[in-house]
Amino acid sequence: MSLDYIIKIAGPMLEGARTTILLFLIVIVLSIPLGFVVTLMAKSTMKPLAWIAHSYIYVMRGTPLLLQLLFFCFGLPQIPVIGEYLVMDRFTAASLGFILNYGAYFAEIFRGGLLSIDKGQFEASKVLGLSKWQTLRKVILAQMFRVALPAVANESISLVKDTALLYAVAVPELLNYAKTAVNRDFTVTPFVVAGVIYLLMTLVLTLFFKTLEKRFKFE
Amino acid sequence: MSSMIEVKELQKSFGKLEVLKKVTFTVDPGETVAVIGPSGSGKSTMLRSLVHLEEVNGGSIIIQGQALVDNGSYAGHAQIKGITSKMGMVFQHFNLFPHLTVRGNLELAPRTLKRESSSEITARSKDLLSKVGLADKADVYPSMLSGGQKQRVAIARALMLSPDILLFDEPTSALDPELTGEVLRVIRQLAEEKMTMIIVTHEMNFARDVADRIIFMDKGEIAESGTPEQIFGSPRLARTRSFLKL
Repeated sequence: MSLDYIIKIAGPMLEGARTTILLFLIVIVLSIPLGFVVTLMAKSTMKPLAWIAHSYIYVMRGTPLLLQLLFFCFGLPQIPVIGEYLVMDRFTAASLGFILNYGAYFAEIFRGGLLSIDKGQFEASKVLGLSKWQTLRKVILAQMFRVALPAVANESISLVKDTALLYAVAVPELLNYAKTAVNRDFTVTPFVVAGVIYLLMTLVLTLFFKTLEKRFKFE
Repeated sequence: MSSMIEVKELQKSFGKLEVLKKVTFTVDPGETVAVIGPSGSGKSTMLRSLVHLEEVNGGSIIIQGQALVDNGSYAGHAQIKGITSKMGMVFQHFNLFPHLTVRGNLELAPRTLKRESSSEITARSKDLLSKVGLADKADVYPSMLSGGQKQRVAIARALMLSPDILLFDEPTSALDPELTGEVLRVIRQLAEEKMTMIIVTHEMNFARDVADRIIFMDKGEIAESGTPEQIFGSPRLARTRSFLKL
């Protein structure tokens, strides 16, 4: 496990880590708002909306993420008639799969946050003359995110590790580079380096969410 | 039009349980009415239906001459909002917004509703915090306050919208006994300023002291009402006497 060797493989591996981080950012930025919208739909008094939201959550949580990725990358183009319009590059298709999957989990996390809010908060807002929308924006959201924060942190860390599933749909990323180097150089070192890079990424996230939790303590 | 609040034959059921059975009473401008009675007598439900936190099944609620409910049929959404906006409410469990400072709690509704300038709002929140004796707590979050302090913030928050009527739903029931005094002092001061108030309470001495009129509710109806002297001095009914342990 010589230092020279580590430096030599670090370049391409960090290149792979870039794909990992890019996927992570795309998924986080899009799946959190998606999750929030789905939560609101699930709580909606319009039955069809609630039904769609619950079915979506059930399907995305009830099937393996790997199956979903394979479906979006290789399954969609096979659908008769419309399949040919659904061909995407594999990174885009995989991103879509991740966003839809994580959106469902975030929806459930936010739903939990919403349930934890005392009904007195809604009553006080109503008596103070706030509309439903104003109540949601000014009173409920901040409290919901505060309650959901530890679970959101947990999901985010899971996402960093789940990006390794790109390996299965042959999008070159961190793990892919490590595996290539292991096969080529007959050494375990690249796996160790990859592990360290994952740990660094999750460390940054852990610290980030710790700071957020401190900031939103309301004391 | 002379009454501030006029309630006629109010009826409300939760499933098969009848919680309000033809409740009728009026409140005059500047009057302080205390509502007493055993748990489950419908006091809170009656109070909550005045601000449309409960919908009744029958009867009328007329606030300053405007019908919130007329013979069981409710006014339109905008009208309901207009009528209830003249009433403030203080809850048993305070219901402060935990994510906002004390000042933020007071100013959220006026700032959101945008009926007046920012400087007016700031000035009034400062005044009201001094009035309830919490000027030094403006930048503190509710989690750092005692129960008595929280309830005083809640009263100041309700006063921010300059209500014509203030409703109290057991304002001291969630407090340690030694903290009720500071809250009752604030309510007493409001009574002296001739704020129209309905107070649902278990504090008999306070009710006797501060109220112009006592309403005794039992099993979903008004069993007896009158001046504190009448109710506490010579109640007409045996059940009033037994409730008051006279």
